Amino acid sequence: MSDLFVALTPANLLACFVGTVLGTIVGVLPGLGPAGAMALVLPLTIKLGPTAGLIMLAGIYYGAMYGGSTTSILVNVPGEAASVVTTIDGYRLARKGRAGAALAVAAIASFVAGTFSVVALQLAAPLVARAALAFGPAEYFAFALLGVVLLANLTGGSRAKSLAMVLLGVMLSTVGMDPLGGSVRFTFDLTGAQAGLSFVAVTTGLFGVAEVFASMTEPATTPVARVRFRELYPSREELRRSVPPMLRGTVLGFLVGLVPGPAATIASFVSYGVEKKVSKYRHELGTGAIEGVAGPEAANNAAAGGGMIPLLSLGLPFTPSTAVLLSGMLLMSVTPGPFLLRDHPNVFWGVIGSFYVGNVMLLLLNLPLVGVFARVATIPPRYLMPGVLVLCAVAAYSDNNNLFDVWVMVGAGIVGWAMRALDFNPAPLVLGLVLGPVLERSLLQALTIARGEVSGLWASGPAAVMLGAAVVAFVAPAVSALTRRIATRAV
Amino acid sequence: MSRDRWSALGLALLAIGYLLAGRRYALDTLATPGPGIVPVVAGLALLGVAIWLFVVAGSVSPARSVGGLPETGVAPQRLIKSSQVVLAAALVLYAALLPRLGFVVASFALVVVASRLMGLRGWWRPAALALGVIAASHLLFARWLGVPLP
Repeated sequence: MSDLFVALTPANLLACFVGTVLGTIVGVLPGLGPAGAMALVLPLTIKLGPTAGLIMLAGIYYGAMYGGSTTSILVNVPGEAASVVTTIDGYRLARKGRAGAALAVAAIASFVAGTFSVVALQLAAPLVARAALAFGPAEYFAFALLGVVLLANLTGGSRAKSLAMVLLGVMLSTVGMDPLGGSVRFTFDLTGAQAGLSFVAVTTGLFGVAEVFASMTEPATTPVARVRFRELYPSREELRRSVPPMLRGTVLGFLVGLVPGPAATIASFVSYGVEKKVSKYRHELGTGAIEGVAGPEAANNAAAGGGMIPLLSLGLPFTPSTAVLLSGMLLMSVTPGPFLLRDHPNVFWGVIGSFYVGNVMLLLLNLPLVGVFARVATIPPRYLMPGVLVLCAVAAYSDNNNLFDVWVMVGAGIVGWAMRALDFNPAPLVLGLVLGPVLERSLLQALTIARGEVSGLWASGPAAVMLGAAVVAFVAPAVSALTRRIATRAV
Repeated sequence: MSRDRWSALGLALLAIGYLLAGRRYALDTLATPGPGIVPVVAGLALLGVAIWLFVVAGSVSPARSVGGLPETGVAPQRLIKSSQVVLAAALVLYAALLPRLGFVVASFALVVVASRLMGLRGWWRPAALALGVIAASHLLFARWLGVPLP
């Protein structure tokens, strides 16, 4: 526990500061999301060492949640998918001249929720990690499979497309050496492919290069509402009205954060939906109500903390950002999972401690510098995006010092651009790529332990429950759609 | 035929190609599973999902949101501009010429081409931007952090 103070060393404080500032800028800029940005700075963080490097990556992750609200409120353009819902009331508040108050409430809600989620993470992650020590290959397989199915259900858009992307990711993960026997697969005699497809190269391609393509069809500049420092104080009435949605959003967001999928985005929508049902001022929602900012902003920040639990305690990431964090950990020879706390207590508690520090930094940064961050959003893409291409190439190459990875990055970028044009979301593909080896290793190990008996996969209670839940999660939407169709025909 | 049906066909072809390429890896037995098992399962599953997508694309309006959640993923870009195609070609050339020209020359050319394709006018501003990007990358990665550049 005393390792929490590791976050307060000058090097770690600096890493946290740089991470939160970068995260806020990434959140402010529409397009390049936290996963892409984290992949871009991976080479930099590796040089900082595991604790400082991971603190910086984590800072980008939760800093983006803060920054995303700024452009939602001032420009009506969400910097991040998780801030989409904030545009509804946030922008209307700005048009009523209450932009400063909305920004302040968003920052305070983010701070409250972020701090709550860190406390919960600090308490829950060691407990989950201890429970996970009893997990064998069958349980890991069942949990990863459940994650994949839930992910496909919750990603939004077509379920078939999400599943196809997860499977494509799993297929890409089979390139290179197989995780058990060491046989080389699908390399087509390319030496560079023997170590497998670089996760950094794929991520920078799908989220970085593809974003450059996308920016070429977007408007060049956006007008920004002016905010003066003295306008940043919400009225007593606004503060009073913000407290209940903030608290509801915090708890809801943390719980949603535990579920695989784009938890921060889902959490903000769920919170908004709950406010529309239970808030005393629900009739004002949609017309510029402070509840529409406080609830969703608390929820998306709490979800970011909740999403860290499966990563830190089980080693299983369920969002693209935590997948990049996992990749960073592995590159720094830190294996997340049940043994992380035992083997690397400095890293574990240092990262958690940095969340506290980062939340305070973000609050202090976001209130006075909101105008500066809002101006960042107006920088035309033609000045930023060409540099992103070069950064992507550096990040991809530095993963293995291999030019093959630059080709992978270029290929992933072009594929990612085509995927966007065809309404396919790249996030499930990235998670399939990360979870593929976990699924393969645990499935083959479970089968070997069970001497080839397939029933060995559900022989233990937890494995049976998780596999059952996966089957229900897979079948339920189809049954529900069928029932709806029959009911419609009957009418 | 709708775009989703074309996508389904593409995915099905990809799955079939993957399954054919994976034939050379042994399946062995379930008690001692070989390296071919997961590729077969993944390939067949993708083929099944592609068929599902093909059927669904013909019967339901596309991209309906799930569970009452609105579409919140990456915003689809329906327009393919010629400048995007040129940028794709420039990126392929960049990867091909990187070993011959080196990082500085290849990246300079890429930034100039990309910034002009994105609407930066003239030659001085793209060239200045390219020099700035290269100098910053060199200082930050090669000098300060010791990260090798491509």
